[in-house]
Amino acid sequence: MELFTPEAGLIFWMFVVFVALFAILAKFAWPVITRSMDNRADLIDKGVEYAEAAKASLENSENKAREILAEAGRQQMEILQEAAQMKAQIIEEAKKAASAEAKKIIDAAAISIEQSRKEAELQFRQEVSQFALTIAEKLVRKELSDNKAQAEMVEKLLNELEHKN
Amino acid sequence: MKKHSILIICLALIAIAAVLSIVLYDDTHHGEESHFDAKETIFDHLVDHYSWEVPFSHSHKIYLPVIVKEKEGGWHMFMSDKIEQGKTYEGFYIDNDQYKGKIVGTASDGTVYRPIDISITKNVLALFITAFVVCLCIFPLVNWYKKHGNKAPRGFLGALESLTAMIYADMIKPILGEKNGRRFAPYLLTAFYFIFVMNLMGLMVIFPAGANLTGNISITLVLALCTFITVNVFGTKEYWKEIFWPEVPTWLKAPLPIMPFIELFGIFTKPIALMVRLFANMMGGHMIVLVLLSLIFIFKEMGGMLVGGGTTVLSFLFSLFMYLIDTLVSFIQAYVFTMLSTIFISLAQVEGHHKTETKEEQK
Repeated sequence: MELFTPEAGLIFWMFVVFVALFAILAKFAWPVITRSMDNRADLIDKGVEYAEAAKASLENSENKAREILAEAGRQQMEILQEAAQMKAQIIEEAKKAASAEAKKIIDAAAISIEQSRKEAELQFRQEVSQFALTIAEKLVRKELSDNKAQAEMVEKLLNELEHKN
Repeated sequence: MKKHSILIICLALIAIAAVLSIVLYDDTHHGEESHFDAKETIFDHLVDHYSWEVPFSHSHKIYLPVIVKEKEGGWHMFMSDKIEQGKTYEGFYIDNDQYKGKIVGTASDGTVYRPIDISITKNVLALFITAFVVCLCIFPLVNWYKKHGNKAPRGFLGALESLTAMIYADMIKPILGEKNGRRFAPYLLTAFYFIFVMNLMGLMVIFPAGANLTGNISITLVLALCTFITVNVFGTKEYWKEIFWPEVPTWLKAPLPIMPFIELFGIFTKPIALMVRLFANMMGGHMIVLVLLSLIFIFKEMGGMLVGGGTTVLSFLFSLFMYLIDTLVSFIQAYVFTMLSTIFISLAQVEGHHKTETKEEQK
């Protein structure tokens, strides 16, 4: 059967054509094509990886930002609270200090008033006794210049003393 | 809406078939009444020729150069029109009995012999055309990559690229691995494209296509031989060790080398399977279409115009169906050939695979 017997001439030409085609394509075509395909596949893989990493990092930074915001809010609250506390404390302390000072001043004033009152009293007593002595001296001097009058005076005093008793 | 369009297409096809039948009927009626030999016609379409018919004409032919070497003497080269229709030129003529359709010479003692014949026959010219078409497909793609780098091509080049990617990225690389894949990809891709284009061109019936290349055992023999060479030349030490001293009980390999014999036999059956598979599939496809079309003429001879016309419509539809299947088969066979070649190569690329296995067992 002719169909099933290989033909030498055709085998020869087929071999020549196929090897020549293989040589040409293997030299000039397939390396370029396969390299480009591999490169593109790599590029796409890397791109996907990069996008995933970017997405993850974006999510990460969003979370971080949220955390920072929350932290900031909490700190703000704390600071406000502290400030309020401090305010109250300061006011309290100021009040205490003021009342203590006032008490001190009042006490001091009271003491000095007492003292000046005593001094004034003392002075007054001295002055009064001075006055009395002076008056008495003057009176005695005047009376004693007149014997009659002195006698009358003594009489009178004696009367008085008698009447009293 | 969809049903309507299918109906319209069917009716159109039947109309074409009917018109064709009338044309063919008239055509065959003009010549003298000769008996239609289906077997002769079918085989005539499947085998090689020294000339190529011009489209739509039986009388005009493209004559091709004949290159033959005399038994004792030099080379002869002449155009095939010189030996057309039984003519003898320089002692050579186309034989009709023992070497049917081939060029034979008459030796000085009167015996008929076949000279060394490397004529550019129809199939050889078709090979050149196929190689050219493959280059015409591949080199624009190469230029695209050189020009555009990582941009993906569109249109026809895009289709070629996805086809190449299907073979290279989805078949060769997964089977052979990254490094070996790149090493053997040029051969496998060349084989794939060459076979695929040959298959498709074999289905287009007129010049410059239409030669039954992959349905010719010489062609598939060379392809299988190339795979055989690639497998065995680049086979690793481990591969040869597994053939001549496989890991089986000793009585299977010595003193009687049963397993080595079977393995050695396997080296040759693999490429033979490749060769026969491609050849038989493609030739079978061509033959079925030819038989279906021959039915028209057989029935015409039996029952005249009416029966012939009816058969024409049926045969036309059936052969159209077969043609569509053959188009699918063209791709599948090219794919299968490439895949099996890849697998055979990967089987010959075993690398210390037994050692790792025993290590794992020890663990």
